[in-house]
Amino acid sequence: MTIEIIPADRFSLHELTELYNQTRVDYLIPMPMNADRLGEYVHDFDVDLHHSAVARSADGQVLGLSMLGIRGEVAWITRLGVLPTARRTGAGSALIDCMLETAATLGIQEIHLEVIKNNEPAYRLFLKKGFVETDTYLVMRHAPRPMLTPPQGEATWLGSERALEALKAYPKHLTWINAVESMRNSANTEGLHINLTDGSSGWLVYRNTKYTLRSTLSHLIMHTEQGDSEKVGRQLLSHLHAHYAHHDTYAENIPADDPHLPAFAALGYFTNFSRIEMRKTAPTGADSSSADAGNGP
Amino acid sequence: MARILYIEDIQDNITLVEKIVTSRGHEFLSARNAESGLELALTSKPDLILLDLGLPDADGQTLSVWLRGNPTLMSTPIIVLTAWPEEVVRQTVEAYGLNGYLCKPFSLAALVNMIDSVLRSAA
Repeated sequence: MTIEIIPADRFSLHELTELYNQTRVDYLIPMPMNADRLGEYVHDFDVDLHHSAVARSADGQVLGLSMLGIRGEVAWITRLGVLPTARRTGAGSALIDCMLETAATLGIQEIHLEVIKNNEPAYRLFLKKGFVETDTYLVMRHAPRPMLTPPQGEATWLGSERALEALKAYPKHLTWINAVESMRNSANTEGLHINLTDGSSGWLVYRNTKYTLRSTLSHLIMHTEQGDSEKVGRQLLSHLHAHYAHHDTYAENIPADDPHLPAFAALGYFTNFSRIEMRKTAPTGADSSSADAGNGP
Repeated sequence: MARILYIEDIQDNITLVEKIVTSRGHEFLSARNAESGLELALTSKPDLILLDLGLPDADGQTLSVWLRGNPTLMSTPIIVLTAWPEEVVRQTVEAYGLNGYLCKPFSLAALVNMIDSVLRSAA
């Protein structure tokens, strides 16, 4: 099949949303969006729609899309998807090749992406294109529930600026969606710092997203400055959920080896699914060895 | 006869479930996103809510919290109809205090039985 690649900024957000939702209709974890949410996504995660792409057949049928977030010399492939009826036509491969070629043109030194664990076709395609697995992350939920014990320690609630200052000191790698830039781009970033009586301390940064009718918490990043991570984590989460007793919470991309995981479990968090982060360094262009690659732009 | 609200973003699924629900003599209402679903639930006060987890604005888990957080809806039974993996759905239903679930694809008979069972329990 002859595949044409078109810059995504030639399509409206509504058209891109419709296409994205159609590509995910049979996804492992269906997560549709509306145009408002896609607009926020583009803004918060520095998605460059001019360098993002839509794949189209020679007769003008849209087949799939891929978006590219760009921050300096690092890029992030996201929202990649192909319509169920256009799978195994080379459209996905052509879209990735386009992203790699675009990244090379822009002087990008490293490209990141995430794939849901057990999405084997996508995982194998990314391996084929030269991406290597780097880390595994958990996406967890927490439903509101009564607190059995009151939180301990002295809590200081942080506004956006102080929360971002704390996040800048985070000593480990943050995935794209939880990175300082993403949290700064969001208008909803808040934080919490605690000091416990035994000298332990730590902080939690999160988003408090306001919908028209209610709010929800998401994008949690936790760090223990001093002391036992489980103990500090329990108290950070206890303060958070005591303060926001009726909020649903969605914790994305918590490292699978995060020392705070026992604290999350103790507070009633459960894993929805896992993501594998993959990276490719210093791309030099499309992988011409790909057997099912479509025509690039 | 019960008033049943289905909150689901895919029109084909709404059409299919509407046929089943109305053929049993129930009143059927629908909404295609979380915020309109919440508003419709508040104004129509359904006897039962059928809820998809993958919604385009806020997802079904979040919406269930909003629904249950309202005094007029806190005891309204909620059945999850979803394509999510069964183990995740089972944990979700338990954690969020929901009343049952069916994973897509499910049989029409299974849906009828689930609706009848939950409505009987709520009566």
